[in-house]
Amino acid sequence: MTTLHRRKPAIAIAGALALLALSGCAGTATGASPTGAAGDPVAGGELTVEFWPDNAAFACVDPFQTYWIESRQVIRNVADSLTDQDPETGEIVPWLATSWTVSDDQLTYTFELRDDVTFSDGTPLDAAAVVRTFDSAQETLAAVPGAYGGVYIAGLDTATALDEHTVQVQFATPNSAFLQGTSTTNLAILSPASYDATPADRCLGKFVGSGPFVLDDYTPGEGIDLSRRDGYDWASSLNAHEGEAYLDAVHINYVAEDSVRVGNLTSGASDVAWPRNPFTPEDQALLTSSGAQLHSRPLPGVSYSLFPNVADGKVLSDPLVRQALQKAIDRETYATTIYGDDYPVVAGAYDSTTPFFGAQDDALAYDPEGAAELLDEAGWTLADGATYRTKNGQQLTIVQPITAETPGDVLLQDQLKQVGIDFELKVYQASDRASIISGGDYDVLATYYTRADPSVLQWIIDDRYASSKAFAQNAADPETAAQIQSLFDAGITDIDQEARTDAYARLQALLVDDGVTFPVFERVQYAATAPSVQGFRFTSESFLSYYDIWKTEG
Amino acid sequence: MAWYVLRRVGQAAVVLWAAYTATFVILHVLPSDPVALQLAANNVEIDSLTPEQREVAEARLGLDRPVWQQYLGMLAGVLRGDFGTSYAKQVPVAQLLGERLPATATLSGVAVLIALVAGVGLALLAVRVPRGPLAALLRRLPAVGVSVPNFWIGLLLIQVFAFTLGWLPAMGSIGPQSYVLPAITMAVPTSAVLAQVLIRSLDDTLGEPYIATARAKGLSRGAVQLRHAFRNAALPTLTILGLLVGATVTGSIVVETVFSRQGLGRLAQESVLAQDVPVVQAIVVLAASAFVLVNLVVDLLYPLLDPRIARTPRVSRA
Repeated sequence: MTTLHRRKPAIAIAGALALLALSGCAGTATGASPTGAAGDPVAGGELTVEFWPDNAAFACVDPFQTYWIESRQVIRNVADSLTDQDPETGEIVPWLATSWTVSDDQLTYTFELRDDVTFSDGTPLDAAAVVRTFDSAQETLAAVPGAYGGVYIAGLDTATALDEHTVQVQFATPNSAFLQGTSTTNLAILSPASYDATPADRCLGKFVGSGPFVLDDYTPGEGIDLSRRDGYDWASSLNAHEGEAYLDAVHINYVAEDSVRVGNLTSGASDVAWPRNPFTPEDQALLTSSGAQLHSRPLPGVSYSLFPNVADGKVLSDPLVRQALQKAIDRETYATTIYGDDYPVVAGAYDSTTPFFGAQDDALAYDPEGAAELLDEAGWTLADGATYRTKNGQQLTIVQPITAETPGDVLLQDQLKQVGIDFELKVYQASDRASIISGGDYDVLATYYTRADPSVLQWIIDDRYASSKAFAQNAADPETAAQIQSLFDAGITDIDQEARTDAYARLQALLVDDGVTFPVFERVQYAATAPSVQGFRFTSESFLSYYDIWKTEG
Repeated sequence: MAWYVLRRVGQAAVVLWAAYTATFVILHVLPSDPVALQLAANNVEIDSLTPEQREVAEARLGLDRPVWQQYLGMLAGVLRGDFGTSYAKQVPVAQLLGERLPATATLSGVAVLIALVAGVGLALLAVRVPRGPLAALLRRLPAVGVSVPNFWIGLLLIQVFAFTLGWLPAMGSIGPQSYVLPAITMAVPTSAVLAQVLIRSLDDTLGEPYIATARAKGLSRGAVQLRHAFRNAALPTLTILGLLVGATVTGSIVVETVFSRQGLGRLAQESVLAQDVPVVQAIVVLAASAFVLVNLVVDLLYPLLDPRIARTPRVSRA
């Protein structure tokens, strides 16, 4: 009896030692094993993917209704879209549609469809099916107000079938981001029968697409099972191969604990580890030492940024203070301290994978002396021996409401303290967010947004489209807001590519120079794959495509 | 006896109703809006909806009626066994509970069993070992078990038995082997508390004069401990066991998250965060029922351990 009880702690100690030994190995490892000729792809095998959990507040894998990245990833593999987007160039390329035309007024889009596509329930993809998808999108929007896909069809009037394989989509107001929208999962085309189900049922996976995999089962909080679609033969040209997918099946598990996801991959229990936040430098070392391959790509769209409240009476209503804040953030230190040595430094309002991205790294350079001068000029002075600046007896405090304190928040707090700004982190309940925004009860609020089109920022700061009017109206003074809107309009509606590039370049400079956004870090999607996994590919939205993946023996 | 049972059942009903009502009041006093939370989870703010759209969204969740009507409607539903539909998961709450309850109930059951065996075993051992360094270690072990965080124990077990040795799965709810690590994780603090209480009361009882008498009669040390001291010391332990069964439900929140298991604990945590009122209400009623039931069983077990408890009413009636 006695020995048994004594052995218990002994096992624990042995375990702790093993742990130490493991991390020791990891520290001395020298990078990933070489990728390269792994032979010809072979069909067969099953892939086990471990994701960050699905959305606890809204369990949904219906393409039109969900924003959650982990859900959109899966949808990308079971439902095809009219077009696809090149991750390298941002160019829109044919997929279910072979070609399209856009009218000069940007109000009419006409798509020619492939004639050899079927949904996995056997129904052919034709113009009527596409029309049904758009009609149903509007019905869903009416039944479920605020359904996320509404962003993609803003201004949509009608969709009509011109003939069996030609669809015309008519807009009441211009929406040039629509073409990019047709390449996203949110406007994926589903079989007409899918729309006989209620929006709630579709959320739980009762829908049918034309993709290379079939969604067999979705259990919220637990996982998703996919199996290969037989006879699939309409992959977009962006893939490495044609025809059916290689894998027989894909099993997706939701794992909340980062260390379990990493441990399962290194111990061979899973094939792909897909975190929400970048792997820590320690986990990266552990993964590479076990032979796993690391992949990373910035998520296109709005970088993780702070957006100001410039309403009258707020400290950030003063442009000098905003410029000072821009200079007081040390983004390089932030990236290396929080995420590791080779982590990219944010260079603008958008992440670098966003089409039309233009780097503003000079304007975003760390300059504490410059910041101090600007604050002095604005009348916020530092009394002898004081930590924070004051003006007319008031302390220079910038309030950021947060739901949970992260190391990044604290680092930022420390950086701003260096120039005499009291960066107050006010913890709030997620349920209070709406009232904080409508009450203007903040100086800065952080947000981000994933979509591979610069117009995505309109959803945050352009009050004609914004998901919150109050938030958008607080972000810039009326004059700047008008400038921003006209630059967005030019970027979106100009036919000439060069003029668009120019408009977006000026827009991105304005956002940073005027302090409409304060970029903090680039959002990078990481993934780790087991040594047997070949053909890994990021989509344009930095999602995972299972289509080209195949597994080597062992 | 019939009157006793009836009164107990009546008390249980009042407790359940009070728990249900308190949860409802708390969830409605909180400054929150399930519609806004659902939209925010999709990166859409509630103020982007027109008043008409807002009404539609609220009507979908049954939030368009006055609060008292919502309360009575939900209460009437519960009495019929209908717990409504989850806001977040969009399926009937009864179905959700049916899917999640067995996993957590089994896990908690196994954990309580392990805790009982380990806790009682440790206590008996600690009291039996002669004073010295080993006794001191055994007596301090429960304190360690109580103070080490649950998630840490879980992660350590996963590191050792799943990742390093590869004996047991680190996650999931498939097969008996998937219960081992989570059940042990849940059992550690419970067994530690049990052992603490039992050691203390064993110490107390062993100092009683009747123990000396028993020893004087020539009974062996072990016989005295088991037949006399343990039986008396078991009462406070049994009382605490009732509370600990409730604690395993709380423990399941952490354990189910660490081990990626689908159970009531995870569901409760997610539903509270998402302000999924129907689900939270149902779980509260369920947890309260379990609590009431366990305490009833404990109450009925008392007379078996201490006949004086059963005899007392008879004496007073005479």
